[in-house]
Amino acid sequence: MTEVRNEPAAAPAAAGLPPRSGARSTAGGGRKRKWNLREAATGWLFVLPFAVLLVAFLLLPMAYAFKISLYRSTLVEGEVFAYFDNYKQAFDDPLVREGVVRVLIFGLIQTPLMIGIALLAALLIDAATSRFSRFFRLAAFVPYAVPVVIGTLMWGFLYSENVGPLSGLVNVDFLSGSTVLASLGNIVTWQWAGYNMIVLYAALQGLPREIYESAKMDGAGQVQIALRIKTPMISSALVLATLFTIMGTLQFFTEPLILQPLNPGAITQHYTPNLYAFNQAFSFQQYNYSAAISFLLGAVVFVGSYIFLFATRKRSALR
Amino acid sequence: MAAVAAASLALTGCGSGDEATTTEKPTGPVTIKVWAWYPEFQGVVDLFNKTHSDIKIEWTNAGAGQDQYTKLQTALKAGKGAPDVAMLELQEIPTFQLTKHLVDLGKYGANDVKGDYVEWAWKQVSTGDSVYAIPVDAGPMALLYREDLFKQYGLTVPTTWDEYKQQAEKLKAASGGKAFMTDFGANDGGFLTGLMWQAGAKPYAYDIADPSKIGVNVNSPEAKKVVEYWEGMVNGGLADTKAYGTTDFYNGLGSGKYVTYISAGWGPGYLQSIAEKTKGKWKAVPLPQWTAGANAQGDWGGSSFAVTDQAKYPDIAAKVAMELFGAKNTDAWKIGIDKAYLFPTATPILESDAFMKKEYEFFGGQKVNEVFVPAYNAIGEFAWSPFNSYNFNQITTGLNQAIEKKTPWSAALDTAQENIKTYATQQGFKVQ
Repeated sequence: MTEVRNEPAAAPAAAGLPPRSGARSTAGGGRKRKWNLREAATGWLFVLPFAVLLVAFLLLPMAYAFKISLYRSTLVEGEVFAYFDNYKQAFDDPLVREGVVRVLIFGLIQTPLMIGIALLAALLIDAATSRFSRFFRLAAFVPYAVPVVIGTLMWGFLYSENVGPLSGLVNVDFLSGSTVLASLGNIVTWQWAGYNMIVLYAALQGLPREIYESAKMDGAGQVQIALRIKTPMISSALVLATLFTIMGTLQFFTEPLILQPLNPGAITQHYTPNLYAFNQAFSFQQYNYSAAISFLLGAVVFVGSYIFLFATRKRSALR
Repeated sequence: MAAVAAASLALTGCGSGDEATTTEKPTGPVTIKVWAWYPEFQGVVDLFNKTHSDIKIEWTNAGAGQDQYTKLQTALKAGKGAPDVAMLELQEIPTFQLTKHLVDLGKYGANDVKGDYVEWAWKQVSTGDSVYAIPVDAGPMALLYREDLFKQYGLTVPTTWDEYKQQAEKLKAASGGKAFMTDFGANDGGFLTGLMWQAGAKPYAYDIADPSKIGVNVNSPEAKKVVEYWEGMVNGGLADTKAYGTTDFYNGLGSGKYVTYISAGWGPGYLQSIAEKTKGKWKAVPLPQWTAGANAQGDWGGSSFAVTDQAKYPDIAAKVAMELFGAKNTDAWKIGIDKAYLFPTATPILESDAFMKKEYEFFGGQKVNEVFVPAYNAIGEFAWSPFNSYNFNQITTGLNQAIEKKTPWSAALDTAQENIKTYATQQGFKVQ
């Protein structure tokens, strides 16, 4: 990626120096290097604020986490170097596996469902131009403005068997072992569908309107325009929204953490891999093991995102 | 690790004399930082600062329970940022003691106040002449029940667990399954352990004096007796299973869905704050017994003040820990009892008329402490493990899943036993 960006910068410099036959003069070579250095320095200056933040708040903590994931500290004996024992333990840990499987199932159902809802809403708002559509656009986006913690707490009340609005009306325990994953999926969809809708809607707004005109003249109806023209044309935005959703799903954490006290039998301390890592560190003082699980999870998120991007590379704007 | 331990030993070592550990004498009032989480603590702090010109307390509410422990662990591990004096629940003392972060208050005269506490309470905070915290409050257990609903459904007050179950069945029939005898909060490790304690279970054998050895016995016949009893109550539709601390639980206590509440010394105040509308309808009676006529009791909750190894003047911090809610500090206890609803551990306060004869409007004028104080005095010895939060989590997770999946509860204790033993071995303990 970066080489591609360097190319145009290198080209004018080369063009300014007509190739001579035989050995290049040292002066010319020196001038070229100087020019490049200055340009590189300017480039670095621009990326410096970002680079500093990246190193200080991402790379260094990651390196530290990796370091402590190679140690094992015990209450009685203190800290010892353990090589990859923590990783081996995580691979063998059925609780980690249970969490991973749960998150995968969750993602397989929740991701297409939410993107589908977001796409449908975006297409509807794009087609309608009334004042109602403006209101609806804002209304669908509002949940995203509510902090995740607050939103989840609110749903906790709504799900409550004794005080929730549905208590007595339907005989469903929204927080039992068999229903809680769907209840969590509902919260996530409520929270993020509006956000994804805005992303897709913005992409739709960017399409040239004349295409619809010509499609209409060719006899296409609104539904056909939506499905055969608009949707394929915003596929790169769809890929982006899906990618963010996948990354979010693999790190599923806040919602189960907040709802856990309501039914700890259904939402266990190892409900998702992220929650498990959190509990290992902050409830059981197993910082080393927690670091190993986090690192593995990070690798899975990276690989998962990469596979998705690779599979959809023709549609993706992120090449 | 070893270096830190040695340094802290040296630090407490030179503090044993008359002089403070640091060479420079404090000039002006010494500031002592205290972490405690009851909101009403402000009054106690103000009172202390008003009556001491040489010490000034700086109070921080660093969160309740586990929230505070997480912060405290982090600050202690980091080597700075911890308070001089911290509130610790009794079951947490071994955890913080094992990492050698608690100052031995025995060196600063704590043994002089030993006589103010009953034996079991003092044992919870000490070993031999070493004292790791000063007890503040405790949680002797009792049964709180709705007198009006008992009348309405024609129930009699149970004195044994058998009778309790019979009344629960009667209630189920009389209310058409709408009311439950109680709610069983399987998410509260302290509550479960209190009930097991009453049944004679001794889940841990641990002595701070020999910290690398631990005995684990969480699936003893006594403990299994307790969970199997409650398994029957829950599966029979006699007890609800909402987690303690949830809206549904509070709502059930206030709405008459639960006609009894198995509670502790701090319970009357707690209940009053969550079920205000039921004022005057509750009564307190002793906890039902496994054997008729017996007087077996357990403890649920309770706290203490410990001095951390980051205290610059451990002698002064120790003084604060001893005096804040000391046996002679009747003014502080007036706030503690009337506003914070603490159940005092200091015998002179406990046996004072102000406490014993206090009438609780919420209980229709009943002197509820006449129920709680005898229970407190009958609590026997009990040891905690130095990794209590792990154990609580194993037991509660296991039971909660057993409730969810309708699997045998005693099997959950067997699993917890295995997991805890594995964890202890991994942590380097000799497990017995």
